[in-house]
Amino acid sequence: MVEISHDILAAVGGIPRPASDVVVETTDVEKWFGKTQVLNGISLTVKRAEVVVMIGASGSGKTTFIRCINHLEKIQGGRIQVNGHLIGYREINGKLVEDREQNIARQRQDIGMVFQRFNLFPHMTALGNIVEAPIRVRGVTEKEATGIGRALLERVGLGHKADAYPAQLSGGQQQRVAIARALAMRPALMLFDEPTSALDPEMIGEVLEVMKELAREGMTMIVVSHEMGFAREVADRVVMLDEGKIIEDDTPEHFFTAPSHERTKAFLSKIL
Amino acid sequence: MHTSVLLATSFAFHFDVDLFLKFIFQPSPALIGGLAITIYASVVSQILGVVIGIFSALAGMARNRILRTISGFYVWFFRGTPLLVQMFIIYFGTPYLFGIDLFPNDVHLGFLSLRGSVLAGIVALSINEGAYMSEIVRAGILSVEPGQTEAAKSLGMTYGLTMRRIVLPQALRVIIPPLGNEFNNMLKTTSLMAVISVTEMFRVAQGVYAVTFKPFEVFLGVAVYYLALTTIWTLIQGMIERRLGASTTRSEAVPGLRARLLGLSSPRGGVGGVGR
Repeated sequence: MVEISHDILAAVGGIPRPASDVVVETTDVEKWFGKTQVLNGISLTVKRAEVVVMIGASGSGKTTFIRCINHLEKIQGGRIQVNGHLIGYREINGKLVEDREQNIARQRQDIGMVFQRFNLFPHMTALGNIVEAPIRVRGVTEKEATGIGRALLERVGLGHKADAYPAQLSGGQQQRVAIARALAMRPALMLFDEPTSALDPEMIGEVLEVMKELAREGMTMIVVSHEMGFAREVADRVVMLDEGKIIEDDTPEHFFTAPSHERTKAFLSKIL
Repeated sequence: MHTSVLLATSFAFHFDVDLFLKFIFQPSPALIGGLAITIYASVVSQILGVVIGIFSALAGMARNRILRTISGFYVWFFRGTPLLVQMFIIYFGTPYLFGIDLFPNDVHLGFLSLRGSVLAGIVALSINEGAYMSEIVRAGILSVEPGQTEAAKSLGMTYGLTMRRIVLPQALRVIIPPLGNEFNNMLKTTSLMAVISVTEMFRVAQGVYAVTFKPFEVFLGVAVYYLALTTIWTLIQGMIERRLGASTTRSEAVPGLRARLLGLSSPRGGVGGVGR
C-alpha cells in the first residue's frame, strides 16, 4: 500500500492564491484540425479550488480542449483566460494574434499538466525530473529545488525512489513522479489528461489517491478521465463533451442520477 | 609453362621490406607532422561539422520557411557535389566570392597561425561534414517522442531550453553510432586535402614515393597508419557507446570489437551509416 501524505502542497509552500476567484474562463473556443471541427464553441468557467472532470466518447474533443488551455494546441476562435490572462494570444486592435514564444512559456509555468503517457524525461532521475524546471525556468537554487523535490517525492510515497530512472519505475510510480514534477512549479491550475488510462488496473488507485489528496488540499483541477468513481467522489462538476460541444455540466449527483441529455444517458449506460 | 613463370618473375618488382618497415617504425619527422595534421584536421572538422549539423537540422525543422529553404539548399548542394570539387572551390574561390583571399600562405587566428591551405581544407571538410551531420541530427531529433517536447513546454521551458536539456540529450542515443562512423570516414577523408597541398599523412607519403619510386611500400605503409588510426577510434567509439548504453536503461547490446572491426553485426538503429 502506498503511503500518500495529507499535506502534499506543503512541500512547495502551498499554492499561490490567485487574485480572482475565477481561475479558468474560456469563451466560445473553436478548434479545427484541417476541415474537421473538433471544438465547437466551448465556454467553461472553473473557480478556485474547483475540480472539474470532463468525460465524453473518444473524439469528443475533451483532450484537445485541455491541451488548448496551456496552448499546446492553437485555437481558431474564442478565447481562453487563466487567472485573468489571455493564454497564447495577444489582443491587437480587437484581433487575437499568437503571442511570442517566451510569453507563452511564461504563462505555462503556472499551469501544471499531467499526461496520459507520463512523459517523464528518461535521461534524468525522478528527482532530476522534478528539479529541472524549477532550476532552469524559475531560477530556484539547486539546493532549494532539491529540498522541495525530495519533500514532494516523500509525500507522494516515492521518497526512496529519488535516484531511480523512469525506466526503473512502474507506471503508477512514474505518474506520481510526473504529478510531483508539475507541482514543483507551484502551479495555480493542474490539468490531467487521462492520467490513469495507460496504467495497469492495480496501479490506478495510487495515482487517483494523490489526485484526491490534491483536490482535498484545494488545488484547482481539470481532469479528463473515465474514472467514474473518482468523478463521483471528488469532482465538483462533471462536464460531458459531445462532438466538440458541452452538452452537460452538472454536479456529480445530478450528472450520474438524472442526466438531462440523451447522449449522456447513452454514454453512461455504456461505461457504468 | 617454364617460360611464362620466367616472364612473370622478370616483370615483378622486388618488395623493399626494409623501406616498408622503416616507413612504419622509424617515421620521419615529416610523417609525424603529417599524422598530427591528419588527426587535428579530423577532430576539428568533425566538431565543427557536428555544430553546423545541429544548426542546419534545427533550421531544417523550423517553422520559418526561409530557414528551412537555406538548410535544404545547403544539404542539397554539399551532399550533391564531390568533396574534392568543394575543396578546390573553397580554396581558390574566396577571392571571387569575397574579393579577398581568405586562405593565403599563412593565416593568423589570434594566438595560432597556420597554413592557409590547412584552414581551407578544414573549412571544406567541416562544411561538407555538416551537411551529412544535419541529416543524422535530424533523424536523432525525430526519434525523440513528441511527448517529451510537450512535457517540457508544459513546464514553461522555452524552445532553446527544451532542445538543449530535453531533446538533444535524448537524440544523442541515435546520433552517436552514425557519428562514430562519420569520424571514421573523416580520418580517411582528410587525405583529400593533399590536392590543395596540405602536408597531411598522404601528402607526405606521396613525397616519399617521389624520392624513392617505391609506391607499393610507401602507400601500403601509410595505409597501415590509417588503419591504426581507425582501429584506435573504433575502440574509443565502443567505449563511448557502452557508457552511453549503461547510463540509459533501454539496453541494446553494443557489438564487440571483432564484430565492429569486421562488420559482422548489423549497425544499430538503422539511421546513420551515411556511406560515401
